[in-house]
Amino acid sequence: MSAAASLRRIGLPRLVVHFSVLVICIVWLIPTLGILVTSFREAGQITASGWWTAFTGAAETSAARLGDPATAKQNGATYVISGSVFEGGKGGTVRAFGTRVAAPTEFAVGKAADLGDGETLTINEDGSYTYSKNAPFEGRGKRVYLSVATPPSFTTDNYRTVLTSQGIGQSFVNSLTVAVPATIIPILIAAFAAYALSWMEFPGRALIIALVVGLIVVPLQMSLIPLLKMYNEIGNFFGVPSRSYAGIWLAHSAFGMPLAIYLLRNYISGLPREIIESARVDGASDFEIFVKIILPLSFPALASFSIFQFLWTWNDLLVAMVFLGTGKDQLVLTGALNALLGSMGGKWEILTASAFITIVVPIIVFFALQRYLVRGLLAGSVKGG
Amino acid sequence: MKASFWIGTALAALVAGGAVAQELKFAPGQDSKFNWKSYEDFKASHANLKGQNLTLFGPWRGEDEVLFNSVLAYFNAATGINGKYSSSENYEQQIVIDTQAGSPPNIAVIPQPGLLADLAAKGFLTSLGQENSDWVKTNYGSGEDWIKYGTYKGKDGKEAYFGFPFKADFKSMVWYVPENFEEAGYEVPKTMEDLIKLSDQIVKDGGVPWCIGLGSGGATGWPATDWVEDMMLRTQKPEVYDKWVSNEVKFNDPAVIGAIDEFGKFAKNPKYVSGGVAAVSSTDFRDSPKGLFGIPPKCYLHHQASFVPSFFPPGTKLGTDADFFYLPTYASKPELGTPVLGAGTMFAITKDSPAAKAFIEFLKTPIAHEVWMAQSSFLTPFKGANSNAYANDVMKKQGELLTTATTFRFDASDLMPGKIGAGAFWTGMVDYVGGKDAKTVGTDIQKAWDGLK
Repeated sequence: MSAAASLRRIGLPRLVVHFSVLVICIVWLIPTLGILVTSFREAGQITASGWWTAFTGAAETSAARLGDPATAKQNGATYVISGSVFEGGKGGTVRAFGTRVAAPTEFAVGKAADLGDGETLTINEDGSYTYSKNAPFEGRGKRVYLSVATPPSFTTDNYRTVLTSQGIGQSFVNSLTVAVPATIIPILIAAFAAYALSWMEFPGRALIIALVVGLIVVPLQMSLIPLLKMYNEIGNFFGVPSRSYAGIWLAHSAFGMPLAIYLLRNYISGLPREIIESARVDGASDFEIFVKIILPLSFPALASFSIFQFLWTWNDLLVAMVFLGTGKDQLVLTGALNALLGSMGGKWEILTASAFITIVVPIIVFFALQRYLVRGLLAGSVKGG
Repeated sequence: MKASFWIGTALAALVAGGAVAQELKFAPGQDSKFNWKSYEDFKASHANLKGQNLTLFGPWRGEDEVLFNSVLAYFNAATGINGKYSSSENYEQQIVIDTQAGSPPNIAVIPQPGLLADLAAKGFLTSLGQENSDWVKTNYGSGEDWIKYGTYKGKDGKEAYFGFPFKADFKSMVWYVPENFEEAGYEVPKTMEDLIKLSDQIVKDGGVPWCIGLGSGGATGWPATDWVEDMMLRTQKPEVYDKWVSNEVKFNDPAVIGAIDEFGKFAKNPKYVSGGVAAVSSTDFRDSPKGLFGIPPKCYLHHQASFVPSFFPPGTKLGTDADFFYLPTYASKPELGTPVLGAGTMFAITKDSPAAKAFIEFLKTPIAHEVWMAQSSFLTPFKGANSNAYANDVMKKQGELLTTATTFRFDASDLMPGKIGAGAFWTGMVDYVGGKDAKTVGTDIQKAWDGLK
């Protein structure tokens, strides 16, 4: 089949759609790619150049300090300091060098440069240098400027720093301890509620639905202080600590509940009436209908909501800080990674590497449940009331 | 799933096991630059508190947290108290939530006296008493000024002493690269007039004198407030500065507008700033100092507080690769002396206990200061601490300037109400650099302040 024929087969509108989707995907992925590349670069490189330059070797101008005058060896009337400009740093190829910041590439490599005052300096391509003078050296080590060609280089140090930092394993476990029950509890409750609100006749049902939908718009920041106050009072009364996993599970469940009930109710009320009525005729109780018919049928909706709720609890920092505490042994992963950034922030190498570490668990959850996601959302959204 | 759970638990146990006993950074009794006697004395007088718990909550995270924990370790070792420090990115909000809900830490460490005053007025702080206030007055450089920043009105409306200063920041500084100065033949200016002359000289030589970056995410604009405060202290009497903080001198007063324009002399001169005026508010304050180290240098001078070396390129040695000088004063205004703009963290008791009181006592020992001085990013106005304990000469020089300053003034934006000092003042400065004139900006900020009342 010729290209023109296959093009005709696909059709222009579809082609436009596919092309747009492709472009949007690429645009959306570029920042992620940038973060990924940045997470493998050194801190110095990140501030010096953009991530897109990481794959091409760069010629950069840098400064180095020659050996201290105390290390000079006397050779007859001349004093010599020698060594490598790459000491303690990474290597590269020196292209040119200079001794004044105004002219950092004044001299060619491999040839002795006359610096006046009886001083000569030779820097070779591999970075080794010989600095000699016909009198003793004074002051501090001389500063030289180099034009260095460096091959592209990547490092896994950022990941090592993040993964081996103290308390990160503990915080990972903490995050799971928070997120898993905080996902399951609201789903359990919301599924019951959604069934009752869609298939059980009782007075005031519409009012309750309206109330639940209304609660979606209440920002959780508003309830932090009163809720914590209540926890403290209950904790004092029973003599238990007010900040505990039970507390944060309840908080997350309550905050997630309105949306959960709303989404699940939309889905469940859209199930065919005939199935439920015939089950009733056959003598099934509400509980049996719920467990045997509703739950299996609404799995896509449950899965899609659990993805939402898991992502929210996993990424949450605020609720965890308030209801679980900020101590080293209570920190969740987001809190622990945030602490790594330091008081002033700005550590891109740590930030990007931790972003990719935190992303792992949600990605696993997402791929495990993603085939239900779209189905669940669409099914819920089409049905109006 | 089960396997991964056990791996997780094992990992957690491993990590927890490693964190139990924190070693003392410097072995007691070994290095004579430390005042070990004060440590032993403190140990002897606080032996009866073993096993008590103490929670501290403050602004330090990452490396700073490690540094503070190294100081706390001495307290824990001396008393047997189990002191635990924690922090949060939004510690200002968190401390408000915690105190209001009734589950505060024992000690809160807050760098904004304005916030502490709010907490004190609501009755959430425990007074430290006259004795501590007297101690700070006699033992701190510019002690009178320091007490002022820790004294607030309590719930009963009476003034009392609440905030104990420990760890200061020094702000009146200009950073430079000595070798760039040497090569170009520039001298460190001694007066503000010379500084302006030097800036002009750099422009004449084809360079750019200043790197100024105001960017800081949601806090964009704050570095400019430091500039304006420094200029305020160099053009007006300290009393005017104090009145400005309490809004007795309005934001659109000629004195304040003059200080804003002094800042504008530098930041709004396209020849003076790296990248042009447009780059000033868009450059991040953390990236801004890197221009000093460019080859060729993007700028020669950078005004920033004592924390900034952590944003110098890795491997920069303070004193050799980078150094600072005191932001000079006008030779034409000798009556203003050598004012120093600074900031500091205040320790306040939010839940009283014998352990909390003991910790405040600990902060009065030289050793508590010296342990941190010997590491990094710590300055103290405490005259009893051995200045030889500073880890390097740059820190030592800053510490000496702090203890010998004729006038110490706390960062005004930290003293003003939050909506101004951490809001209208910041955005006003961004507007100013963006093209508005000082009078309009001053009037706008004053309007925001009037709106608070």
